[in-house]
Amino acid sequence: MNSTSQLDLHPDADGLNAFVEQALAVPEREQILAHLAGCSRCRQVIFLAQHAAVEAEAPATQPTNKPTAWYWNWRLAWVPTTALAAALALVVTFHPWRTTQMPELAKAVPFRDEAVPPPLPQERASAGAARKPAQSLAANSLAGNAEFATRRRMPEELVQQSAPSAAPPAEPGASAPLNGVSSAFLSSPVESTQQKTTAQFQTEPAVAAWQQEQQRSSGTLSASADASRQIAQKSMRAEAYTVHTSRQTASSGPRMVQQSQSMPASSFVIGTQQQFAGSAASLKTYPPKLPSGLTAVSSATVQHLTLEIDLAGTMFLSDDSGEHWEPVARQWTGRAIEVRAKTGLSGNTATAGVFELKNDAGSTWASADGKTWSAQ
Amino acid sequence: MPSQPVEVSAAAGISAVPQPIYMLDELWRESGAASYGLEREQFREILERIGTAQNFGLAPDATASRQQQVNYFRGLRLADLVLARACAGGHQGAWEHFLSVYRQPLTRAAIAITGIETLGRDLADQLYAELYGLTTRDGVRRSPMDSFRGKGSLMGWLRTTIAQRHVDHHRRTRRELSLDDPADGNEPQAAVAEPENTPAELLLLSKAIEEALRQLAAEERFLLAAYYLDERTLLEIAPLLRVHEATVSRKLHRVTGQLRKQVIRNLQAQGLSKPAAQEFLGADPRDLDLNLKKTLQFSLPGAFTEKAVPMRGMQ
Repeated sequence: MNSTSQLDLHPDADGLNAFVEQALAVPEREQILAHLAGCSRCRQVIFLAQHAAVEAEAPATQPTNKPTAWYWNWRLAWVPTTALAAALALVVTFHPWRTTQMPELAKAVPFRDEAVPPPLPQERASAGAARKPAQSLAANSLAGNAEFATRRRMPEELVQQSAPSAAPPAEPGASAPLNGVSSAFLSSPVESTQQKTTAQFQTEPAVAAWQQEQQRSSGTLSASADASRQIAQKSMRAEAYTVHTSRQTASSGPRMVQQSQSMPASSFVIGTQQQFAGSAASLKTYPPKLPSGLTAVSSATVQHLTLEIDLAGTMFLSDDSGEHWEPVARQWTGRAIEVRAKTGLSGNTATAGVFELKNDAGSTWASADGKTWSAQ
Repeated sequence: MPSQPVEVSAAAGISAVPQPIYMLDELWRESGAASYGLEREQFREILERIGTAQNFGLAPDATASRQQQVNYFRGLRLADLVLARACAGGHQGAWEHFLSVYRQPLTRAAIAITGIETLGRDLADQLYAELYGLTTRDGVRRSPMDSFRGKGSLMGWLRTTIAQRHVDHHRRTRRELSLDDPADGNEPQAAVAEPENTPAELLLLSKAIEEALRQLAAEERFLLAAYYLDERTLLEIAPLLRVHEATVSRKLHRVTGQLRKQVIRNLQAQGLSKPAAQEFLGADPRDLDLNLKKTLQFSLPGAFTEKAVPMRGMQ
C-alpha cells in the first residue's frame, strides 16, 4: 500500500466544521472523508463537535417535553366552543335590537287596558268596536301568551322613556298647541297602518300584529307596509314630542299616550287618508276648529268655499274662509274620509267649484257647491 | 500556537491570479462589514483570497464561471466571516458582539466536549484568550479567527476548534487511545489471525485485507472506521453522511460483504482455492476480525498540511 501516514496533517477546523454542517462541495467532502477514514483524531474531533452541537440544541427542545397544562389538552375543543359563544353573543346582541326596531307593535296592541282612560263622547261610538279586540288581546295575554305580551310591552315602554328627550316634531303641523285629541291623531297612524296591512286586525289585532312582526323579520312585508311603517315612525316622533310638550304645559301627558293606544277609529281615518291621498299633504294636521270639536282630517277649498271632514266623518262647509262652519247633510254612504277639489286636465282647480268626496269604501261623490252631493 | 491554515487548493497549485469579485457591493452590504469598520476593499481582499484558495469550491483544474463564483460566495457565512475578521483585527464593537453572542455557548460547548465543567471552562477560557490574539508571531498579533473562512457557521467553527484542542491534548497525554473508552490501555488486540494460523498465513491474509481496503471508497472506509474502530453508533454516524441510520446499517452490511468477497478473491489470487480461502478465513467469513485501526489510518498524500496543535497550557 503506497500510502503516507497523515496522522500529523489534518483538515483545519473550518473544513471539519463545514463537513459536520454539510456545507462542503462534493470534491472537498470526498477529500475530508478520505482523511477521516484513516484519521481517528479527526473522527474524534467531528464526533465531539457534533455532540456539542446536539447538546447546545437540547435546551431549546426541552420545553416541548415539559408537561402541558390540563387545559391545553382541550385546545381542540376551544374552536367550536368559541364559535358557539360568538354566535350566542350575536343573538343576544341583535335580538333586542331587532325587537326595538318595531315600536309600532305597541301601538297596534295596547297592553294595559285598565290604564286607558275613557274616550271622549264623540269617539266612544267609533272606538268601541276597535276596543274589543284590544280587550280580547289583554285577555289573551293574561291567559298566558307571555311572549306576545313582552313583545308589546317593550315598544310601549320605549315611548314612555323617550318622551322626555323627544326630538322636535317631524311634521310642521305638530308644532301647534296640541290637546289630547291631536295627540291621539298623531299617534293613530301606527295603528292605522297595522289595520291597513292586515285585514284581520279588526277581529284579532294581537294575532295580526304578531303576524306582521313575523313578516317583517322574514323580509316579506310588502311595500305598502314599509310605507306605513315609515309613517308610523314619524307618528312616533310626533307623539313623543306631544308628550314632551304636554308635560311642559302640565297637561295630562300620560293620558294622551294611553289614549292614543285606544283610538282605533281615528287611526283608521288617518290610515285610509294616507291610502287615498298618498302624499305628504294628506298628513297635514288641522287644529280643532270645527263645531264638532274634532280635528279635521281632510280639507278642500275652491274659491271662497271650504269643506272639511272631522275625525267622526262629519263634513262641514264654510264660505268665509273657515270663520263659520255649517254641517253638510249626509248624502253618501259609509263614512266620509276625504274631500278634495276636483282638478281638470290641466291640473288646475276647477273654477266651477267642484268638490269630490270619498268614503271609507272608496266610493266617490261630487258636488259643485259643497252642499249637494251626487254619486259618481 | 494557533493553527496556521493552508488552503487546500492553494497547495494543489491553483492559480493565484486575482479574479474579479462579482456582486461585491451587494455582498459587502449584506454582510454588514461596514458596521465593523471593514472597508469595501478589505472585504474584497478577503473574498478574493478565500475564493482563489478554494477555487470557488470546484475541482482544482476547473475554472469558475461568474455564476459559480456568485454561488460560492452566496454559500459563505458572510456575516460570521466579517465578524471573525473584525475580531481578529481587534475591532472593539466586533468583540463586544462576539462576547454577547458566543461567550456562553462557547463555554457550554467546551463543557459538553470535555464532559467536565471545570475542564471545559478552562478550555473555553484558553481558547478565548487565543482568539483574542494574545499570541504573537514576528511581532504581529495572531488570532485563529483569521483561519475562519465562513464555509460553516462561526459557532460550529468554535466547537470544532475546541474539540481539536481537547483531542490533541488528550492524545498527547494518552497517545492513540480512544476518548470514549474508559479502559484505555486495556483495549483488546485485534485478532488478525487465529492462534493456530502460521505467520505465513497471517502475512498472506494481511496483504489480502490491505488490498481489499484500498479498493473501498472513502466513505466506506470512514464508515468502517467510525463503526468498528471508534465504536460510534449508527445514530452518530448518520448525520455526518447525510443519510438515515437505517441506511448506515445497510451500507455497513453491504461493505462488509463486499470486503469479505474481495479478501477471498485476493487470497485466491495468492494461489489458494476458493474453498481453501473460505476455510482460511474461518467457517463464517463475517466473523473475520480485521485490524482496521492500522490499515485504515492512511490517506492520500498532500491532501492536508495542517498539523495537530497541542493545547496551550494543558500539556
